[in-house]
Amino acid sequence: MAQARRPREGASPRRLAYRGRVITRRDALRGLAASLAVGCGRRARPERRDGRVVVTFWYAYGDLVRKVMLDLVARFNASQPRVLVEAVHQGDYYECLAKLRTALAAGAAPTLSHVVCEIVPYLERAGVLEHLGAYEGAGELPFVPALAQAGAYAGGAEQPLVAIPFNRSTPIAFANARMLEEARVAPPSTWDDLVAAARALTRRAANGEVRWGFEVPISWWYWVAMVGQAGGRLVDPDGRMTLGGDAGEKAIRFWQRLVHDEHVMRPPPGRDYQAWQSSNESFLQGRIAMMWSSTAFVRYLEDNARFPVVAAPLPRDLRASVPTGGTMFVVMRSAPDEEKQAAWEFVRWMSDAEQTITWSTRTGYMPVTRPAVERLIERGWYGKHPNDRVAYDQLAAADPWPWVPELFRIERDVVEPRLEDAVLTGRDARALMDEARDEAGRPA
Amino acid sequence: MKPRAPWHPWGMLGPTLALLVVFFVVPIGVAAYESLFAWDMLTPPRFVGAENYRALAAHGQLLHVALRTLGYSVLVVTGTMSLGLGLALLLDRPGRFFGFVRASVFSAYVVSWVAVALLWMWMLDGNAGVLGRVARALGAGPLSLLGDPRWAMPALALVGVWKLTGYAMVVFLAGLQGVPRSLIEAAALDGAGAWSRFRHVTLPLLMPTAAFVATTSLVTSFQAFDVVRIMTQGGPARSTELFVYAIYEQIFLNLSVGRASALTVVFFALLLAVAALQLRVWRARSGSER
Repeated sequence: MAQARRPREGASPRRLAYRGRVITRRDALRGLAASLAVGCGRRARPERRDGRVVVTFWYAYGDLVRKVMLDLVARFNASQPRVLVEAVHQGDYYECLAKLRTALAAGAAPTLSHVVCEIVPYLERAGVLEHLGAYEGAGELPFVPALAQAGAYAGGAEQPLVAIPFNRSTPIAFANARMLEEARVAPPSTWDDLVAAARALTRRAANGEVRWGFEVPISWWYWVAMVGQAGGRLVDPDGRMTLGGDAGEKAIRFWQRLVHDEHVMRPPPGRDYQAWQSSNESFLQGRIAMMWSSTAFVRYLEDNARFPVVAAPLPRDLRASVPTGGTMFVVMRSAPDEEKQAAWEFVRWMSDAEQTITWSTRTGYMPVTRPAVERLIERGWYGKHPNDRVAYDQLAAADPWPWVPELFRIERDVVEPRLEDAVLTGRDARALMDEARDEAGRPA
Repeated sequence: MKPRAPWHPWGMLGPTLALLVVFFVVPIGVAAYESLFAWDMLTPPRFVGAENYRALAAHGQLLHVALRTLGYSVLVVTGTMSLGLGLALLLDRPGRFFGFVRASVFSAYVVSWVAVALLWMWMLDGNAGVLGRVARALGAGPLSLLGDPRWAMPALALVGVWKLTGYAMVVFLAGLQGVPRSLIEAAALDGAGAWSRFRHVTLPLLMPTAAFVATTSLVTSFQAFDVVRIMTQGGPARSTELFVYAIYEQIFLNLSVGRASALTVVFFALLLAVAALQLRVWRARSGSER
């Protein structure tokens, strides 16, 4: 609080007394403004508890993944006396991201969080991410190339290092092995095979109940996979956002065909993770025979299904292609230096082979470092868990994301709502994609 | 009544006026200003003129959001008022049974929107919900109202009506207490039947109550957010994207302050137009009844 001054003669007598000092209204307001300015700016001093630097970590998991992550955080906290990681649940990926962006704008961001790949270029352009390249050992972390920043983005190596792979995944096909056997079909390896298999697996009961041959959430991630499979790219070599051109439309038409012409696919209700959850539940209840989901659900589905679950790579059209998914660790530039250093210690510890193996084998996310993969091979993990092997092998077909700051807005505001529109209402794919390309070019 | 000093009325209006200016007029002014910029709160704002309005209008998004919000409000207000009035007329009787039914109907109103939305999500679930099971038992096949762009909005309106009917019923019950028995008895003595007594005696006397219920239901329906956020997140295919949810999505999920501000300004204009229209209709009606 600023030093109290004697009020001017004839000035308003409105003043407060605090611990024997007279505080004028103007001083009180000045003090309040100063506190707000400090509150909204960068914190200079780190938060400490019992002599340890506190790293606030905002995370976005529920259920099994949350439990595994909290176990790892507890292990890290018990393993050393300097850093205390405080994990705070912030809803699903998109809720956590919304809170993180708002907190960044308000100057109240945590030290560490994890974000989806599509938002990283935007956050880097906004200047809110700490550049990690100069931190101890940053250049030596032996990440699987397709999952680290350098390989996960086209031109990612030329950008400052701001994102460290954490829970990484790809889309993958799951099938009910019992239903496949009954219908005598193999997991499809092409789009045409997929249509034929879904036809053979779809059953309609007399009471109108349907067991669907195939299901996939109508979502950006799967559409990007299909764009790649149909031979397209989101951004052309000149850097224009073409949204896959003809391939983007072909992917939508393929979905429309499965839903409206072949009647072998049901778009799951709900948006975002509600739709994913709905697909998983329907699959576990035997209401659908095949689905596309994330490798992250391998363990959950295997542990909860009352039938053998078989995983397969996504089918190809002109070529095999999958995007990578999941999230990357990011450290906030606004945090005090000691907290950033402490956050880096935690990120490095999480990237050690043993932690990576624990994380990967208990959840189904990809092992993100090469030593972890080598140890898993040595220990015979992939022999006992062939579905995990499928997920890992599919990385050979992983396509990098373009390093485009508008990518996340284009995903959420431009493409995703139009995908639903096209698939659910059967609107013309070309018209919708023309609209999307026009919208993608507008400022927001 | 004449004020003792000319400034007295302003002195009394002052605090309310100040609150209105600070919390309503200034924010709307700020929103109007910010709607002229492309801004994400993290990078510097860029002046874009009317581009945010053009972008929202370009592919019909703005018009669709406005029509959906109006459609939702019409369904909720008409549903709430007719059911509320009907139940009030049916339950305006003494006795413990009627008291119990009145309390049961009203109880939905005191439950939070989040709980109501979760309950109805479960009820309307195509697989495990009551509706899905009934549909399958009747041989209608799987029925997923919330997953169908044609039915998702009426389903949300149904939830709104279910929640607000108890409130409308209680207000109409209070209104019915103000209808003099003597008038109804006089009409009966003159040979008026039940429908004529309701049409020509009860209903005209209930008009101020109906106006109140209509206004409050309209305000509540325009503010619908929780039910959309929890049940559909604006989907499927944006079929349940109402104004408040669209504003939330633009500012918190897309962090597009300019677009959100443009939506806010249009929403404000729409509310102003609806309020003016409603006021005009009620004034004309009460004028003709005098």
